[in-house]
Amino acid sequence: MTDQSMVTIGNTTDPYNNAKARGWDITDASALTTPLELEADVVIVGTGAGGGTAAETLSKAGLSVVLLEAGPLKTSSQFDMQERGAYRDLYQEGTGRGTKDGGMVILQGRSVGGSTTVNWTTSFRTPPETLKFWADSMGVSGCSVEELAPHFAQMEERLNIHEWPQAPNANNGMLQRASEKLGYDWATIHRNVRGCLNLGFCGLGCPVDAKQSMLVTTIPSALDNKAKLIHHARVVRVLRDGDSVTGIEAEALTPNVRGSTGQTITVRATRTILAGGAINTPAILLRSAVPDPQSRIGKRTFLHPTTLTMAIYPESIDPFYGAPQSIYSDHFQWQNVHTGPVGFKLEVPPLQPAFAAGFYSTAGEEISSSMDQLPNTQCMIALLRDGFHEDSQGGVVELGDAGQPILDYPINEYLLEGVRRSWGIMLEMQFATGCTSARPAHKQARHYSTWKEAKAAIAELQIAPHKVTVGSAHVMGGSPMGDDPKQSVTDCDGKFHHLDNLYVMDGSLFPTSIGANPQLSIYGLVHKLASKLGAQFTA
Amino acid sequence: MTGAAALSTMSAGATLSGCTSSGPASGMKHLRPEDLDLLRAMTPAVLKGKIAPTDTAAIDQTLESFDTLMADLSAPVVAGVLQAFDVLNFGLTRGLTTGQWSAWSKASLEDAETALARLRESGIGLLNAIYAAVIRLIISSYYLIPENAASAGFMPPRKVASVVPAGTPAEEGTP
Repeated sequence: MTDQSMVTIGNTTDPYNNAKARGWDITDASALTTPLELEADVVIVGTGAGGGTAAETLSKAGLSVVLLEAGPLKTSSQFDMQERGAYRDLYQEGTGRGTKDGGMVILQGRSVGGSTTVNWTTSFRTPPETLKFWADSMGVSGCSVEELAPHFAQMEERLNIHEWPQAPNANNGMLQRASEKLGYDWATIHRNVRGCLNLGFCGLGCPVDAKQSMLVTTIPSALDNKAKLIHHARVVRVLRDGDSVTGIEAEALTPNVRGSTGQTITVRATRTILAGGAINTPAILLRSAVPDPQSRIGKRTFLHPTTLTMAIYPESIDPFYGAPQSIYSDHFQWQNVHTGPVGFKLEVPPLQPAFAAGFYSTAGEEISSSMDQLPNTQCMIALLRDGFHEDSQGGVVELGDAGQPILDYPINEYLLEGVRRSWGIMLEMQFATGCTSARPAHKQARHYSTWKEAKAAIAELQIAPHKVTVGSAHVMGGSPMGDDPKQSVTDCDGKFHHLDNLYVMDGSLFPTSIGANPQLSIYGLVHKLASKLGAQFTA
Repeated sequence: MTGAAALSTMSAGATLSGCTSSGPASGMKHLRPEDLDLLRAMTPAVLKGKIAPTDTAAIDQTLESFDTLMADLSAPVVAGVLQAFDVLNFGLTRGLTTGQWSAWSKASLEDAETALARLRESGIGLLNAIYAAVIRLIISSYYLIPENAASAGFMPPRKVASVVPAGTPAEEGTP
């Protein structure tokens, strides 16, 4: 194991340290003592991949923009590479968000920058297979590989997205070695970083602003363009005048963002853009009781349900250090697009201890001994590509008693088959590269010492919801775009079908899951939609 | 797939429980006296090999961390956790779901291990979910304490404001 505790990391890069000198207009709504009322050309709800990209694009077009974020403004000066503060401040529900029956935990960001502040920087263009399926089967137009290419290229340039040039850390390196050994396709991941120190704390907030998240790129740029940013402001509903949306109403949250202060924020705007992410965007639409004649809002919400296997190696892995994701395999992803068993992408996650501890779903000496061997532990994950096969309809966003979103997404047999199959593949890969023991993410499993033993065990284990450990860090869908108002919530410009001046620009537009980590899919699509909206506006 | 506090809504648990709960225990923000009894019994079983039943200092430190973690979750998640605890605390459901018919304050290490095994092996998904939530929260609470994270090999650099480390490359390089 490597002790880095004598290393000191500092930065002079935090752009928010110079907010005043740069004339930025940032309001902490938790400090409001009177109601706040604003007017703008465009109000954008959410500051993640969608909201950040839309804010930069539209403010650059000369429009006045107000950006609202429910979470706090936390910046690199406060990112200390410790788990507790990061989970508390930067994640939805303090990482406690999950599906309704408790079957899946959902990791989603909640601070200025949204999930881009805490994601692992993995950047893929939307796979051609996915775009073709949307065009052929989901009524999506204008989103071919060729039509999106210039937008992806611009955002790649903007966020310095490039193939990771350094050697993978040992955790990722094992995925490469195993793929080579067993003859599986693999490739190097592209990352949105500039001056990356290869530390490994992307999930806890980049301490040196190397990650080109919205927090340090598009939002500062929008603020330079005179956009106003209001954080600690949770949007309750959109405001309407007949068939037109006229802005939003928000409530100010307490400093710890766990409660309401009772103050309200009203923004009147010519255009309203929802970019709160899948789950929160459909929830705003549901709370607003907007027309939904086919009951499409919140349906078909996808998660890339993700399961894993953990293996212990004789050599040091130090899975908590180094670029978290640098190698992937799509070998089992596209055998079929929308028929047959579910396809999946293979990647690895970083294993900071409190985070990793949740992967085991086990207790007693098994967990104590596993955690003692964490420096020698490698983890593979399989991200199941949901939403393509007719047996994979995803989850449904509902509202709880307090108007909070709840995602009802039971894990069905179709996905469970993928869980079992992916365990077999990942465990074989781990034994093929010399692990001394490995276990699948099943509550009744243990570490097995040979591939033969592990294979027999996964054939015997009861594969059922709540017995298996499945989670998600990718939330998509729930307000799908499409040309047919009967099948979709917005048109292919992101405009809500049934009201004027209301747009959706985030991952909730996706009619299926992506089949890849979604951030670049959101950047590219929203760049396209926001550019068009900006051009219409100024025309 | 997580982590830290990983529990989702377990609202169904509420209906299993008929008990009324008291307020937080002295010095705690969320955990109630009966929750502390439950967790004092469970913690040495969940972290066997790390915390002995007699190691009250380590147990108390973990429970303090647990209470802080609860404060960091959302209100609906906290409500779900407390409902799950109600199921495990209330005499009838405690006995039926865990086999623990006397109070948790009287439970031995073996009793707690039996209770965990029953929740884990149950054919009722909700009980499996409660098992997962209880063990994840306890284990996460333990490893959110920096010296325990260090025992798992995690010793990250110290953050010092406004100091650029020597030899920082302009573009990607090794640290």
